[in-house]
Amino acid sequence: MTLRAENICKSYDGKVVLENLSLQVEAGSFCALLGASGSGKTTLLRILAGIEKPDSGRVYYDDQDVTEVSVQERSIAFVYQQFVNYPSMTLYENIASPLRVSKNRFLDSEIREKVNKVAGLLGLQEVLHHLPEQASGGQRQRCAIARALVKEAQFIFMDAPLSNLDYKLREELRTELKQILGGRQRSEEGVSGDGHPRLKGVVVYATPEPIDVLMMASHVGFLHDRKVLQFGEVQEVYQHPAHAAVASYFSHPRMNLIECTVESQGGRSVLKVTDELKIEVGLGRDRLPDSRYLLGIRPHHLGLRRVHDRMIPFKAGVELAEVVGSNTELHLKHGNVRMTLFMDRVEQFAVGDIVTPCIDPAQLYLFDLTTGEFVTRTG
Amino acid sequence: MAKIELRDLHHSYASQETDSGFAIRDLNLTWEDGSANALLGPSGCGKTTLLNIISGLLRPSSGQVLFDGVDVSQLSTRDRHIAQVFQFPVVYDTMTVFDNLAFPLRNRRTGEREVRARVAEIAELLDLGGVLTRSAGRLNPAQKQVVSLGRGIVRKDTAAVLLDEPLTVIDPVLKLDLRRKLRSIQQELNMAMIYVTHDQHEALTFADWVTLMDRGKVIQSASPEALFLNPQTPFVGFFIGSPGMNMMRCEVSGQRTRIKGSPLEVPEIIAARVRSVAGAIDLGIRPEFVETSTKPKAEWNVFSLQAVDHAGSYQVLTLKSGQLRIKARVDDQFEATEADRIWVRFPPENVKIYEDGELIP
Repeated sequence: MTLRAENICKSYDGKVVLENLSLQVEAGSFCALLGASGSGKTTLLRILAGIEKPDSGRVYYDDQDVTEVSVQERSIAFVYQQFVNYPSMTLYENIASPLRVSKNRFLDSEIREKVNKVAGLLGLQEVLHHLPEQASGGQRQRCAIARALVKEAQFIFMDAPLSNLDYKLREELRTELKQILGGRQRSEEGVSGDGHPRLKGVVVYATPEPIDVLMMASHVGFLHDRKVLQFGEVQEVYQHPAHAAVASYFSHPRMNLIECTVESQGGRSVLKVTDELKIEVGLGRDRLPDSRYLLGIRPHHLGLRRVHDRMIPFKAGVELAEVVGSNTELHLKHGNVRMTLFMDRVEQFAVGDIVTPCIDPAQLYLFDLTTGEFVTRTG
Repeated sequence: MAKIELRDLHHSYASQETDSGFAIRDLNLTWEDGSANALLGPSGCGKTTLLNIISGLLRPSSGQVLFDGVDVSQLSTRDRHIAQVFQFPVVYDTMTVFDNLAFPLRNRRTGEREVRARVAEIAELLDLGGVLTRSAGRLNPAQKQVVSLGRGIVRKDTAAVLLDEPLTVIDPVLKLDLRRKLRSIQQELNMAMIYVTHDQHEALTFADWVTLMDRGKVIQSASPEALFLNPQTPFVGFFIGSPGMNMMRCEVSGQRTRIKGSPLEVPEIIAARVRSVAGAIDLGIRPEFVETSTKPKAEWNVFSLQAVDHAGSYQVLTLKSGQLRIKARVDDQFEATEADRIWVRFPPENVKIYEDGELIP
């Protein structure tokens, strides 16, 4: 069950949305398409599913060219951002509807079995006799997801299905979806180690939220500027972003990107952010050309405690302190440089306070200042 | 600018007043002038109903709304001078930003000189000076939302600002900027603002005072820190924090106090307090406060690791002992794999005790 797109181009009214885009998703993966709104992820999702046709380029399911195959002829399911349910049918009938119109002519007993199984997965057993209007928002979206799963389609496409839900429901459904759809590589027979049924095939999930990707997906493609800027396993992309745009967007909170100069001094390189903030780093065997770069620092790799003496302290003023639950996000200004610091504890700060953050020289990224491309990382 | 009070508010959409028919029940609240507030709760909890009652779009079944001690319950929306910002920006796309901001003033026949002065003042405050001559349709959603706010506060007699899920249609990247901007505008304006949302992150970062609602009632009204550290009910513990608080039912048999469904014994310092009350007891501990170790520790409890979820700057562990499942938050350096054994401790000072669903102080 591989999904492959080759050289996809798509324009609307002369505006290029996707340009020569290629992508390959292997069987058993939960692939997220991450990008800001307008990055083309929904368009790509619709092209992969066959709801829209590309201007040029091909789409293959298992090496079979399906570019010209209509969506009805494909073994796919699509979950929209807006919950789509039939208002006059109970949730049971909503979930059963794809089976009733299927060419497979399922028996009522088979339908009952399949609907109950998928309703069980999504915690809908108790409300199957309800009409959509009697169900909560979370139940309605679960129903829409159940309708997609009940077909046991090989390819499941989801367009930000959690974005219209409450924060807490999103948190719950993320865990559920990961259990139902994720980790399928480990389950050849469709049953995982803990006895939960798993689905086979490919899931493609478009979302603007990095946390959705981190918490659910096995793979991620980052869409930027009409292209897939980086594709890979989630942790791989997170740890080794190929571009400053990936590093910045796919980080929670966003990665700090700061202009700096690299100067070689003897065998060492010195990153100069300001006259007060210079960081001596080892950059391996390759000497970097002296030039200006973008320095990337994750907010949680900046700390107010100097845990070891390799850490480099500097002074910064507090512009804003945000406390969320057990964390504090400090928005700081050092000279003209703005940065965010993330602490996993609660501390009170007043605007204008001067603090002494520390940088760990082993946790830094460098990107090309003009192209944004990854250059190296320390550590 | 005004202080807002709600007294003995009830509202029912249904004609029969069954318990479930009430959208708002027995509600008393005060928001001080100049304060930054959030109204937080799951969808259907009544927060939008309450907002509509404050703005005058809806008349409550009973109870009063007071602005600075004056009963405004019978006044129209227009006469309450409330500025409102909704989920979707309300701007005239074909007008310039200047004309959008000037609209409410011109509507009330304000002199053009005063209009210009006031719009300049608001544009300065909202950082819109650079786009005043641009047509509003060409702004990004976050800028449009700022213009919507500007239209609300441009009149000097604005009593308060109500924001109803104002970041819903904004990109995650722009969300942070807009959230910061709203916060600094609130501090400069020194006007009571009420920010309605289901998103705890937005509520806790915007507001100094957060009111958490569920099923038409106020469950807890407190500072963000207090909601986190001392949730009044298990619902507050669940709703605030990500993931929510772990809740564990206690069982007392003879001299022993256990966590239900598990071999865990409750430490005597807590068990003594549990024995002194009669109701059903739950212990609550936040995932952030659960201490974990991959190496054996004397007197800590052994759990098996069910799942590890990476959230970027931290990881969430799902841990199991008997029937008991809990979550723990650890930093991004923590290394363990599923099925590993993890030793766990609940620091007693961070364990909250609930009797019949209410926090014991």
